[in-house]
Amino acid sequence: MSSFFHVAGAVAARQTYKYFTNPAFLAPALFPLFFFVAFAGGLTRVGDVPGFDYGAGYIAFQYVWALLQAVSMGGAFTGFSIAGDFENGFASRLMLAASNRYGIILGYTMASIVRAVMTGMLVTGFALVIGIPISGGFDLFGLIALALLANIAATLFGAGVAMLLRTQQAGPVIRTPIFLVLFLAPVFVPLSLLSGWIETAARLNPFTHVLEAARGFLAGDPTGVASAFIISAILILILALWAVYGLRSAERAG
Amino acid sequence: MGRDRGIEVENLVREFKKGPRAVDGIDLQVEPGEIYGFLGPNGAGKSTTVLMLTTLLPPTSGTATVAGYDIVHEGPQVRASIGAALQEAALDPFLTGREHLHLQAALHGISRKERKRRAQELLERVGLQEAAGRKVRGYSGGMKRRLDLALALVHGPQILFLDEPTTGLDPQSRSALWAEVSRLAREDEVTVFLTTQYLEEADVLADRVGIIDRGRIVAEDTPESLKAEIGRPSVEATPAERGERDAVASVLMGFGEEIPAQPGAVAVRLSGGAAGLADVVRALDKEGVRVTNLRLDEPSLDDVFLAKTGRSLEGAGEGEEGGMEEAQA
Repeated sequence: MSSFFHVAGAVAARQTYKYFTNPAFLAPALFPLFFFVAFAGGLTRVGDVPGFDYGAGYIAFQYVWALLQAVSMGGAFTGFSIAGDFENGFASRLMLAASNRYGIILGYTMASIVRAVMTGMLVTGFALVIGIPISGGFDLFGLIALALLANIAATLFGAGVAMLLRTQQAGPVIRTPIFLVLFLAPVFVPLSLLSGWIETAARLNPFTHVLEAARGFLAGDPTGVASAFIISAILILILALWAVYGLRSAERAG
Repeated sequence: MGRDRGIEVENLVREFKKGPRAVDGIDLQVEPGEIYGFLGPNGAGKSTTVLMLTTLLPPTSGTATVAGYDIVHEGPQVRASIGAALQEAALDPFLTGREHLHLQAALHGISRKERKRRAQELLERVGLQEAAGRKVRGYSGGMKRRLDLALALVHGPQILFLDEPTTGLDPQSRSALWAEVSRLAREDEVTVFLTTQYLEEADVLADRVGIIDRGRIVAEDTPESLKAEIGRPSVEATPAERGERDAVASVLMGFGEEIPAQPGAVAVRLSGGAAGLADVVRALDKEGVRVTNLRLDEPSLDDVFLAKTGRSLEGAGEGEEGGMEEAQA
């Protein structure tokens, strides 16, 4: 078991070191920031629409989505890094030196969490600059916990795809499903204001529960917290198995 | 005989989809502390064998133990016991040489303090102290090879796999690497499994050589025994004047049967072995026959390969089957 943590620590240290020596590690935050500025700036009046019942205001409403998008895309970018390591051969060093190869998955995930913290701070700082209201009563820890769980789930998904395909061409295969899950949720308006197929898709989308609960934490009105955490835990469990499947596929392929 | 640091392989097979058998039922045994040279042309199955023995690729069938551990069922123990420098040095261009060593040591669970000591020791051993702080993207091919060797040694492995370690190296770097590999085997008693397509490398370094062709081992023994199996050495003399060819031939044929030679030259297979060369020189001198060139040819591993496969090792892999080792599952 100790080799599991040795390997995880070494992989995480290398990956984190690479993040901090390359400013591109904040790239996952760029799209969310763009969307955040565009939506929070251009669609502020949506907050005045009858039925829009989110107490913390439209900027906060958008901030939560931007935060979850940033940390989730951080997970996707970790998948890109893993695919790159396989493509350039560095992964064979890890596979050869790692007594316990499952530690490789944990190591990449740990590094992804570090990236998520940094990108999350960037998005939050930006939100403060553009005027997100700060008032008492919100549960910051709950929000952070859900953001980290979203990051872990996205990382495990990306890791599984990357190790299955072992090429940077896997990028769209990692990115597109994460985008779909993020956008097929109540992005612009609360779920109660959606209608038609998008409402059906959003209701079926497990990410919706996470997003709603995260927004509830920020508004100081937690709703559906238990289901959000349970769904996150189940997703992480399934995606961890998916990542292990990817690893085994990589082992078989050599 | 202790097998703790050795390698045993029985009927090992690796098939790739839509491809031939890259490794087709090989058996081999490497003794502890031995340097085993695995010689063959490109695409013969050398690298595929190394990938299987280092647990990077599962075999299709057959069994193998490395350091006493089964490569399929005891992968973690195998990996903890071995070091490997593969054909393509798997390095991160954005890390320095020293950072690579620290990372490798951390992967093996070596303490932070010990990591620094080991890194420094190995950097000195492979002559990379001055370049240790530079990012690997600026390293030459030889420097990358040396770093790769140091990385393979960071945890003090019992068995070292070197997959074509000198390919692309200049003669000086090649000699230095040979010296280090010899030292590892003689002083540190590391078992070395070395693949190469260079005859000289196998001849100089290996205690025993296995010759692989098209996934099968076609010959295996010490280099000397393999060459002795092929035949005795020959001597070829080129007369100073064309008219003296018959005189040279009559002297040489006293030492063995005549064999084909270069145009204008005479060659015989020495019935008394290489020791007969001095007698040949004395006989030529006694007869007053002048020669411009006198050459002793000992059988080479290429001759062994030729005898076993009907082809010369030099270039034998070119144009064949698109390189099995590059085939993907």
